[in-house]
Amino acid sequence: MTDLQELYTAVLEGDAPSAKSLVQTALDGGADPQELLAKYMIPAMDEVGRLFEANEYFVPELLIAARAMKGALELIRPKLVAAGAKSAGKVAIGTVRGDLHDIGKNLVAAMLEGGGFDIIDLGVDVSPEKFVEAAREKGADVIAMSALLTTTMPGMKTTVDAIDQAGLKGKVKVMIGGAPVTQRFADEIGADGFSDNASGAVRIARQLLA
Amino acid sequence: MRLKLIACEVLFRELCQALADTPHTVDVQFAPKGLHDIGAPGMLARMQQMVDAVDEAQYDAVMLGYALCNNGIAGLTARGIPLVVPRAHDCITLFLGSKEKYHDFFHANPGVYFHTAGWIERGTDAGELQQLSVSHQMGMDSQYKDLVEKYGEDNAKYLFDMLCNTTRNYSGIAYIAMGLGSDSAFEEQSRRDAAARGWSFTRVEGDMRLFRDLLEGRWDEADFLVVPPGQSIAASHGSDVISITA
Repeated sequence: MTDLQELYTAVLEGDAPSAKSLVQTALDGGADPQELLAKYMIPAMDEVGRLFEANEYFVPELLIAARAMKGALELIRPKLVAAGAKSAGKVAIGTVRGDLHDIGKNLVAAMLEGGGFDIIDLGVDVSPEKFVEAAREKGADVIAMSALLTTTMPGMKTTVDAIDQAGLKGKVKVMIGGAPVTQRFADEIGADGFSDNASGAVRIARQLLA
Repeated sequence: MRLKLIACEVLFRELCQALADTPHTVDVQFAPKGLHDIGAPGMLARMQQMVDAVDEAQYDAVMLGYALCNNGIAGLTARGIPLVVPRAHDCITLFLGSKEKYHDFFHANPGVYFHTAGWIERGTDAGELQQLSVSHQMGMDSQYKDLVEKYGEDNAKYLFDMLCNTTRNYSGIAYIAMGLGSDSAFEEQSRRDAAARGWSFTRVEGDMRLFRDLLEGRWDEADFLVVPPGQSIAASHGSDVISITA
């Protein structure tokens, strides 16, 4: 039996090849996928978030840990699904109309994926209609929008309004972020959640679906 | 009037031309372009320091050669004399001569990166501010070899792709020609830059109107916000761009 503490360390240190091979070996040896996730992988990501918020980890460390987590999760997920386990939720994510800056959006998507969410990546320059469609037809539980420019921030309000008009208010949660975006703006436009960093975004998404 | 102008160095050439023609007496302080890169709280703190350092007994008002600049002036407070600020999200409004023209161009051309003489000559290196910049803190200015050294080849490739390719969704450069003597050399440089990236190139005619209106004291409500003493600037998220907050 592999020392599973190594799995925790591999995720924490962003070592995707080791994380994957450790999970594969453990699964082959009959380990319980739910246990791998709950006892080693999720605690590792929680620690990553803690280190990030304590300024001991920075964005690159966050990203490679999320990548290792994602790699390991891909091996585990089919078994979890077969056992009837549900994902943490489905998040449709994109930059708002007119905004092509997707580094922050990709970061949040990677962290959410590492946090066990299913991601529908709508890409950049996403129209309100496309966000609505993701909620209505693809079953997104959360719409996550980002904007890097104050020029494009009004697109967030337009999208929130479109979601309301589609009769989805309350059925789908909306979270927003991006350099110029604030909690105050989120409150003003009626978004359900806001985070100014990718690690916090995972916590917000969990809270919204709790 | 005797006026103080605090301005971004990106606007140097245009402001100098308008300064030569203004009937008012203007003292000028230019600040580094890199202020834009250190995040809104950092930029605001430095902007407020500059405003606070103005000898108010000498002037009728302080003018800002700035836009909202991604909230870098949101929260800025006028002290004993008014603060005059163009209603603009960023300096492209100033170069194009109206926020409506910018809005229409921006939404019709989402993949276009703007170039101006000042933007080119003031470079992309934020100098001493680089260490404080958000892109530096996020690792977006990393060299590939440094990423390999720190995180190994496999992760370095991933990180470089995720963090360092900041213009991957752009497809064109628009050079804003302001009718200055220096335009042709900078336009040529933009054209070469676009060709090297395989992007389209467009020349857009600029408009000196807002620079002249600012410096000549024509602070029309539609184009400028005059912040009374003791009050602060807020982002309005509407077509007026900025508003006053007590």
